Amino acid sequence: MKTKLCILIAIAALAASVALAHGDKKHVVGTLEKINADSVVVKTATGKSVEVKLVASTMYVSHAGNEDKPAKLSDLAVGDRVVIHATPKGETLEASEVKFSAPGAAASAVKPKS
Amino acid sequence: MSRGNAILLAIVIAIALITVAAASVLHDGLSSRAKPTALESMLARNARRLAIPAGARKLQNPAAETPENLRDARLHFADHCAVCHANDGSGDTAIGRGLYPKPPDLRREETQKLADGELFWIIENGVRFTGMPAFGGAQGSEQDSWKLVRFIRHLPQLTEEERMEMERYNLKGPEDLEEEQEENDFLRGAPMQQKPEGTHHH
Repeated sequence: MKTKLCILIAIAALAASVALAHGDKKHVVGTLEKINADSVVVKTATGKSVEVKLVASTMYVSHAGNEDKPAKLSDLAVGDRVVIHATPKGETLEASEVKFSAPGAAASAVKPKS
Repeated sequence: MSRGNAILLAIVIAIALITVAAASVLHDGLSSRAKPTALESMLARNARRLAIPAGARKLQNPAAETPENLRDARLHFADHCAVCHANDGSGDTAIGRGLYPKPPDLRREETQKLADGELFWIIENGVRFTGMPAFGGAQGSEQDSWKLVRFIRHLPQLTEEERMEMERYNLKGPEDLEEEQEENDFLRGAPMQQKPEGTHHH
C-alpha cells in the first residue's frame, strides 16, 4: 500500500508539473451567442466573441444546481452560460466538453432564501 | 558463394538492419512528441509479448464482474490511471500525448485482444522503457489489478454518467480545483470573472 501511495504521489507531482508547464486545453467561459450545426460562438467576459468548433467526440454536460447530467447539442440554447474545454487545432478551437446551464436555472441557483 | 563473400554479405545486411533500426528509433531528434514508426511499434509489441511469461496468459480473472467491482475499479482508474490513459481509456491527456511511446487506446483491439492474464501482468509489473509503472507488490494490489482488468474490458461501453462520475475522482491540483469551483459558480449564476484569454490549462 505504501509503495502504491508513493507511486501515486509521484504521478500526482508529475501530473501537476506537466499540467502547469505544458497544458494544452483552453477554457472558454461566457454566454452562448450563436449555435451552428458544427460550431458555437461564445461571448466572453471581455466582450470578445469566440468561435469553438463542435466535433463528433464533443461531450455535452448540463449543469443544474450541483448536479451534472449528460446532454446533447440540441439542449443548448442562445443565452446559456457555458464553460467549454477546447483544444487548439491550428487557428481554431475544438470543443472536447461543453458544460452549460440555462439562464433561468443559474438565476434561481443564486436567489437568496427569503 | 565463397566464405569471404558470405561474410561480406552478412556484414552488409547487418549494417543495413542497424541503419534502419537507428533511423526508426532516432527520428525527430529523440523527441517524445514524435509518433513511433510502424517498425518500432511492431518491435515493441513483440518485445512486450515475449516479456510476459506464458503462464500469465492462462490466468483466470478471480474478480467477479459485479457492479460493485466495476465501480471500485472505475474510481481506482480515475485517480491512478486516468492522468495518462484518460477516463475513457483513449490516452488523450496532456501527459499521455507527451509520453513516448504514447499510452495505447485501451478500447482498441490491440489492447482488448490481450488475455486477462496479460493485462493483469502489465498492471502488476509495468512495461520497461515506457511510462507504464509497476503497480504490483503491495498488499491487496492483485485484487485491485484484477478489478482493473474487468474495467478495461468495460471501457468500450463506458457511459457518459460513468465518465462524469470519474471526473470527480481525477487527480487535480489546487489551481485546477479553484478554477473548477469558479466555473461551477459561474454556471450557477455568479458574475463572470474577467480573465486574460488564451490561458493554458490541463
